[in-house]
Amino acid sequence: MKMRQLKARDVAPYLFIAPFFVLFLVFGLFPLGFSIWLSLHQWDPATGLAAMRRVGVENYWYALTDPWFHKSLYNTLWFALVSGLPQHLLALPLAYFINRRLKRSRNAVVGAYFLPYITSSVAIALIFSTLLSKDYGVINAVLAELTRVPLLGTLMPAESIDWLGRAAYTKPAVAFVVFWRFLGWNVVLYLSALQVIDKDLFEAATLDGAGEWQQFRYITLPLLKPMMFFAVTLTIIGNLQLFEEPFILVDIEKGVSQSVMTTAIFMYRLAFSDGDFGTASAVSWLLFIVIAVLTWLNSRLFGRQVGGEHAAR
Amino acid sequence: METVPMSMKLVTLALLVPLSATLLAPAQAQQKTTLTVATFPDLDRAAKAAVPAWNKQYPNVELKIVSLQYADHHTAMTTALATGSGLPDVMALDLRFIGKFAESGGLEDLAKSPFNGLALREQFVRYTYTQATSSTGALAAMPTDIGPGTLLYRKDIIDKAGVTEADLTKDWASYIAAGKKIKAATGAYLLADAADLRDIALRAGLNDGEGIYFDAKGQVLVDSPRFVRAFELGREARQAGLDAKATSWTNEWAAGFKQGRIATQMMGAWLTGHLKNWLAPDTAGKWRSANLPGGLYGSYGGSFYAIPKKAAHKPEAWDFIRFMTANKETQLNSLRVLDTFPALIAAHQDALMDEPIAFLGGQKARLLWRDIAAKVPAIPVSKYDAVATDIIRDEFEKVVAEGKDIKTALADAKSLIERRARR
Amino acid sequence: MRRADTPSTAMAWLLVGAGALLLIAPFYFTFVFATHPRTEIFNSPPPAWFGTSALSNFDLLLERLPFWRNLGMSLYVASMTTALNLLLCSLAGYAFATYEFRFKRELFAVVLASMMLPSFLNMIPSFMVMDFLGWIDQPRALYIPAAAGALGIFMMRQYIGSAIHRDLIDAARMDGCGEFRIFWSVVLPLLGPALGTLGLITFISSWNNFVAPLVVMRSAENYTLPLALRSMQSPNNTEWGALMMGSAIAMLPLLIVFFFSARRLVAGLTSGAVRG
Repeated sequence: MKMRQLKARDVAPYLFIAPFFVLFLVFGLFPLGFSIWLSLHQWDPATGLAAMRRVGVENYWYALTDPWFHKSLYNTLWFALVSGLPQHLLALPLAYFINRRLKRSRNAVVGAYFLPYITSSVAIALIFSTLLSKDYGVINAVLAELTRVPLLGTLMPAESIDWLGRAAYTKPAVAFVVFWRFLGWNVVLYLSALQVIDKDLFEAATLDGAGEWQQFRYITLPLLKPMMFFAVTLTIIGNLQLFEEPFILVDIEKGVSQSVMTTAIFMYRLAFSDGDFGTASAVSWLLFIVIAVLTWLNSRLFGRQVGGEHAAR
Repeated sequence: METVPMSMKLVTLALLVPLSATLLAPAQAQQKTTLTVATFPDLDRAAKAAVPAWNKQYPNVELKIVSLQYADHHTAMTTALATGSGLPDVMALDLRFIGKFAESGGLEDLAKSPFNGLALREQFVRYTYTQATSSTGALAAMPTDIGPGTLLYRKDIIDKAGVTEADLTKDWASYIAAGKKIKAATGAYLLADAADLRDIALRAGLNDGEGIYFDAKGQVLVDSPRFVRAFELGREARQAGLDAKATSWTNEWAAGFKQGRIATQMMGAWLTGHLKNWLAPDTAGKWRSANLPGGLYGSYGGSFYAIPKKAAHKPEAWDFIRFMTANKETQLNSLRVLDTFPALIAAHQDALMDEPIAFLGGQKARLLWRDIAAKVPAIPVSKYDAVATDIIRDEFEKVVAEGKDIKTALADAKSLIERRARR
Repeated sequence: MRRADTPSTAMAWLLVGAGALLLIAPFYFTFVFATHPRTEIFNSPPPAWFGTSALSNFDLLLERLPFWRNLGMSLYVASMTTALNLLLCSLAGYAFATYEFRFKRELFAVVLASMMLPSFLNMIPSFMVMDFLGWIDQPRALYIPAAAGALGIFMMRQYIGSAIHRDLIDAARMDGCGEFRIFWSVVLPLLGPALGTLGLITFISSWNNFVAPLVVMRSAENYTLPLALRSMQSPNNTEWGALMMGSAIAMLPLLIVFFFSARRLVAGLTSGAVRG
């Protein structure tokens, strides 16, 4: 009987992860291989599969020496930092606050924070361009009102800001929309992780005289590490692949779009405007390397704790 | 010998009758073919509006109109051409993409038999055929609608400033001078965006056969005096505060029209319909349509229909294309339903052209637009036009927003375009 | 338990409240715009309260799109994807979190890496695979490839790793439970909040995905809702009122799913699971 149990236990994990790998083999591997193959060729897809022309690593070299590629990497990293950092710095305390303090209004508040994630892209594009409108937007209207307030007023700009028209303002505006969109998502993630933490731990700590901040720092944070690793990894991956928000907010036909061109948007342009799928694939692999490196760095920071003391050894 | 039982005979008869009926009546059989037309808004409405008339003329061919968003459609068509699978019978294409698709080699050459599209050439506005012709001389598509470039202006505003239409259209210098007068007298902006000015001024002095960004040998032309002048004009307009810096199709832009803060707009004639329907309906009667300044003739947009090489029903596809493009009634119907200007010259002779347009204060603008369409030079398109447009636009933005020097900007643009178009 | 100081609580409330308002605004405006005709949406300033064109926008929407079929298709695909993910991702996450096996690290690295390539470049090879399988224009082409998402596996691994105590599993094993049975009867019931979150995330991302249907669907009736709504957008002539109405309706199922999973998510009653 022991022999049989051992066998099942050995085989089980492979069986359990099999569905993912089967699907990956069928639907993921071919596109992956195709993409690698493509990055070594020059190809305009409209000309058909047979028209691929082998160019070796020329595409990679071309991308690495391209000024627009450098600009896009800079933009991407800028967005990752400026919208990613606040997302987490705010989401964590918020989730904590909601978990501890709110009972009846909890659903409503979390719902409010989650709404941005549900709002459709089309709506976001239209409504934010309305809100951020230079002469008629609510934001500028509020700022105009604030100029009347004595102290604060001196900090306010003299004339209405062209949020989506001037590079200096468009970047923060787009970063804000990304932040706005994903704050709730991170709140939800952290909240679900906070549910797991045993309430008794906090009670015991309070009895021992530990203050709120100490409890947060020494109980909550360590136990949240696995979820933080998950959430931060997602933010890294998501932000480095950022495409949607800059794309829908700033029309690609407008001059200022270069200031919010992320690497993913650059890739899109290469593929569908320039008809250069080969270079686009090369850029996607270069981006992949950047993402992989950053994820690895992240796992050094948080990843050790995966499972912690609770997982099987 | 056993006789065949009666029941067997009856059964056999019962089977033979329908069998022979189907065998004997192929000629009468109503075999319905489904013709797949892939298109995008707003063009899909033109096809849908033509369905009743089509069904009358071709009752055996059923139209299946598949419509996707503008960019999605062209992406889906690119994907289909790439793999050679999932292609429609008729492919609608926009001017912005026609260069690329014509060069792809995946579309039928409509000049060859059995289409013989060149025979219809004289029936269409001259420049459209050039736009649809690839660098190898293949006619990749048939034109269906055009956008004659016009200057729409607010008569009441320019009257107030003491400016006349002639001042606006004489040449670019007088256009800008007029803009300064308008600004001083009424506070209204001359135009929505200096980039619009640059974009159209680029086309100054082009003749038949001359490309905008590339010459016949593929050399990049962006450092020529034509470009320098266009950039200078755009910059001048921006520096004199003549443009509202409003992006098209936004609140600001619509508001600019509604409140009379934008005095002129250069765009395709079809803008009139939009202004009337939803952008600024209350300003009806105050607008007029004129030629573009500086004696320039250009077009804004245009749509085409093509047949992929791997299409399943090519004869029917060609019937459909001729029905939509070479048929006067269909073309006029599109004009009525969509406000799109016909590419077919015969449609330009109809009484509909004489109709006074209320929104334009009763002006018989279609006659003007017809005239403009005939004079637009036949400029060949290149598959790198989209790339060049992007790069020029970005460099212009640097010139006006960051004060970059024009000559440097154009030199940078040239090297960037050459880099991108290296293949 | 000591009550916290009132000023700091009030301050916290204020921030949370103001933040909540800003977060709701675009959502709110979608519904407001859905009740106005196109001209009014582009008014300056835009309308802040509901208008009277809801019905006409709705009629226009139904006229332009096979709306109900698209809605149905979205619901079907999103539900199938979610159900499959809930099962398969928790299974795989459980395996990665609680077992030790050869190549575990490498295999998980593959899972992680699969999330790092941007999907729109895969359009053409994906299309080729679907074409080869004969799945073009069919919903299964949408939910089967997405049935065991890497994101879900990653998330469940993290959650199970930190929430499920080793002792629980060992005890069940000693009781003679088979491997799958341990997962199904012992571990799965404890995954409430995580399943709620995963279900929510999967449903929403499946619902909003328009790239996959763009590649696979060939008839307007089979479009999912976001793709169908996009197909209504013309570069210059979009019927914004109808589009907003469509977008507003499209967001309602997501809201409903949220409320369902929120119950599991914010229950806060599952803390006892960790202890034996």
